[in-house]
Amino acid sequence: MNGTIQAPTLEYAQLAPMLVVFGAAIVGVLVEAFAPRYLRSAIHVPITLLSLAGAFALTIWQVVKGVPTKPAAMGAVAVDGPSLFIWGTILVLAFVSVLLINDEDHFVAAAAAVPGSAEEEQALHEGAGHTEVYPLALFAVGGMLLFPASNDLLVMFVALEVMSLPLYLLCGLARRRRLLSQEAAVKYFLLGAFSSAFFLYGTALLYGYAGSIDLAKISAALGVVGGQETLLYIGVAMLGVGLLFKIGAAPFQAWKPDVYQGAPTPITALMASGTLVAAFGALLRVFWVALGGLDWNWSPVLWAVAILTMVVGAILAITQTDIKRMLAYSSIAHGGFLLVGVVATGAAAGQNSKALSAILFYLVAYGFTTVGAFAVVTMVRDAGGEAWHLSRWAGLGKRSPLLAGIFAFFLLAFAGIPLTSGFFGKYAVFQAAVAGGATPLVIVGVVASAVAAFFYVRVIVLMFFSDPAADGPSVVLPSRGTAAVVGVAVLATVFLGVFPQPVLHLAQNAAQSLFIR
Amino acid sequence: MGESITFWVLAVVSVIAALGLVFSRRAVYSALMLGVVMFSLAVLYAVQDAPFLAAVQIIVYTGAVMMLFLFVLMLVGVDSSDSLVETIRGQRFWAVLAGLAFAALLGLGIGNAVLSPPKGLAAANRAGNVPSLAELIFTRHVFAFEVTSALLITAALGAMVLAHRERAEPKQTQKDLSRARFVRFGQLGRNPGPLPGPGTYARHNAIDMPALLPDGSVSPLSVNRVVARYEAAEGTLPPEVERILQEEALSERANGHVARPLGEEDGK
Amino acid sequence: MHIVYPVVVSALLFSIGVYGVLARRNAILVLMSVELMLNAVNLNLVAFDVWLRDRLHGGQVLTLFVIVIAAAEIGLGLAIVLAVYRNRQSIDVDRLRDLSETGASEEAGPPEEPVGVGEDADREARP
Repeated sequence: MNGTIQAPTLEYAQLAPMLVVFGAAIVGVLVEAFAPRYLRSAIHVPITLLSLAGAFALTIWQVVKGVPTKPAAMGAVAVDGPSLFIWGTILVLAFVSVLLINDEDHFVAAAAAVPGSAEEEQALHEGAGHTEVYPLALFAVGGMLLFPASNDLLVMFVALEVMSLPLYLLCGLARRRRLLSQEAAVKYFLLGAFSSAFFLYGTALLYGYAGSIDLAKISAALGVVGGQETLLYIGVAMLGVGLLFKIGAAPFQAWKPDVYQGAPTPITALMASGTLVAAFGALLRVFWVALGGLDWNWSPVLWAVAILTMVVGAILAITQTDIKRMLAYSSIAHGGFLLVGVVATGAAAGQNSKALSAILFYLVAYGFTTVGAFAVVTMVRDAGGEAWHLSRWAGLGKRSPLLAGIFAFFLLAFAGIPLTSGFFGKYAVFQAAVAGGATPLVIVGVVASAVAAFFYVRVIVLMFFSDPAADGPSVVLPSRGTAAVVGVAVLATVFLGVFPQPVLHLAQNAAQSLFIR
Repeated sequence: MGESITFWVLAVVSVIAALGLVFSRRAVYSALMLGVVMFSLAVLYAVQDAPFLAAVQIIVYTGAVMMLFLFVLMLVGVDSSDSLVETIRGQRFWAVLAGLAFAALLGLGIGNAVLSPPKGLAAANRAGNVPSLAELIFTRHVFAFEVTSALLITAALGAMVLAHRERAEPKQTQKDLSRARFVRFGQLGRNPGPLPGPGTYARHNAIDMPALLPDGSVSPLSVNRVVARYEAAEGTLPPEVERILQEEALSERANGHVARPLGEEDGK
Repeated sequence: MHIVYPVVVSALLFSIGVYGVLARRNAILVLMSVELMLNAVNLNLVAFDVWLRDRLHGGQVLTLFVIVIAAAEIGLGLAIVLAVYRNRQSIDVDRLRDLSETGASEEAGPPEEPVGVGEDADREARP
């Protein structure tokens, strides 16, 4: 090289959706620094929403123009069919979640003030608020976009942190029940840092094994490098711990209920939809692109993890008395169903794309339903904030039939009842799993779904067939944003349940090209 | 040979320091132990052909991160010790087991791997350490490098959100404070001047000794409440100070308001 | 020097870090243990870098990134810990139990935010 470095080439067109999101986040930070306080919210909301919409449009443009076949940005980012599909999903879900974030009084007025202190009273009185949540959410979304598209382990780690750090922070900013919220932030942070250390150690061992952190080069080294399989196996196991933690798969699920409960509900919605989608994208990419040749070794482990996740999620959901914790366990169980799909990818290429498209469809279906469900949770309120305890939801069907009906519909979609999106999602994943020879897993999955369905139905019964408490929670009139979120979620759930074909087709097209290797 | 000796010495030092970090009762000792680990790793990097990393390790870890840890420890209370009593029964046992099993797994697993002696071309550092690092960072990993900036902005923004409160009203100047002091003097008759220093006219020139008035009695104004509370807990409170505090508590209960010396509330 | 030695030292440091995270209750000490784990990773990476004679020093570059990211992470983490300390006067991880499984199911109603921790409100209210 003799001291000269060739200038790197960045494919700006391919990276555009991410760059738009990051750029808007940085503009948001500048707004925070220079705009007067009363203007900030009015500037942030359009910037955030427009950038997400713009990034979505750029993603679509990318698809129309033809899916790239080579990694971009000097081999750091792989913008391929599945990435683009996941990007589109995340961007839409993030757009919807930002509408929820935009809703009034979810976030603390002054995070630095002690709850209940005079400073906080004053900040509340002045209507102050942390408008920083918008750029922070955008940074998180940028990380979510990069995470499933990263083509080497370094970029994946950076993306993991870019995605997680803002979420750690946002978790602790709930206006009501702040102690719970901050506790959630601490737990999420400590466990997240712990798991990312595992991810890194795995990365280091894989680097030692393959001499490179490129997913493709690791894959190439699989058959060639001999005598150091221990490095490889331990490395893969630790990498897996880091990724499975983000998904909330069974031995590493402990953070999920606590964090989902404590975090402000719009952030929970963003995490439950966006982070899950991104983490599954990344998991699939690692296990396919880098470790595809090793599937005999990892698929038994994933079998066990998938079974454990489904069982733990479904059974612990029954014992919950808190609506947000219940939804968190439901999210764990759905992670297990998705893992069934991941296990099913271990066969021939045709089977691969089928399982992949099933997972992609499931992610879209689950993402919309879960955002909708959390949006409903924000609307049922007590004097002290959202009414989380299930007993408070008793008789909601008599007070507010429409809202209770919508929530019941979402629960049915979670349960996978026909004519909802959840049905086709589960159907596609289980079908792919049967074709991939994982029938026992599917049986466990069906049983777990039945157990979970029992619990969802119990909530529905509670809402419609028991008497409302005298001092029961009130249903607040939704703001335009929240109403739009619920509307979009209902429409998506119905549409995907009745006409799944267009999205299934899209998912199949995306999966056709598979991940760039 | 020299490299081996350095390695073995530093390896032993760093492992012992790491054990000290985990087992020492006081948080400050743990922080210092962490510093030792980081420093010995920096030297290890230097002998292992990574001078740039050694410098970065010292600047970022030993310099910035360590200071951050110590700073927060000071804020939280430097004597915050961690009682080593376990709250979950068997927690420590399981943690030890997990740590040992993990170490065994890694040690045996990696030891078993057939790790050949150094391989590859002997062309390392041909262009020098820093240029070759730069080449990789600014070509292959340029995107990761750029995205890292998002991470740093997030961290800065996050720390601001959690720690910084925007001032809603203009800051009180010294003039305002002094004016308020004299208004209070006029209304309540409170002493506008500074408090007498501790130990004045006393035989002891120590902060825990209250000042004596010219007649030899103790000046209640000079009793340092923080020190007094500490001493009361330790059982070393001088009797005359204890008497004053008791009288004060009685009058507080009688009047229903808190009579405090001037300085304490202005300090707030 | 053989590659195994630094790698085993790194494994030891990592395991000690794992133990620290699991056993210590002071949140700051937990963070320090996480730092220790990351340092172990760095040692591993540098050792592999030397061993592989990586001409472009991929391992060292990765180490550089890890150092930067860890610094950012710790900065934010300590800010979160401080925020909790301000509200609870404690950074004991074991006392963060409001969200735990038993706490949620035993309570009859939703956990209430302790509005206006008495003495704080009192202290702030003084002129």
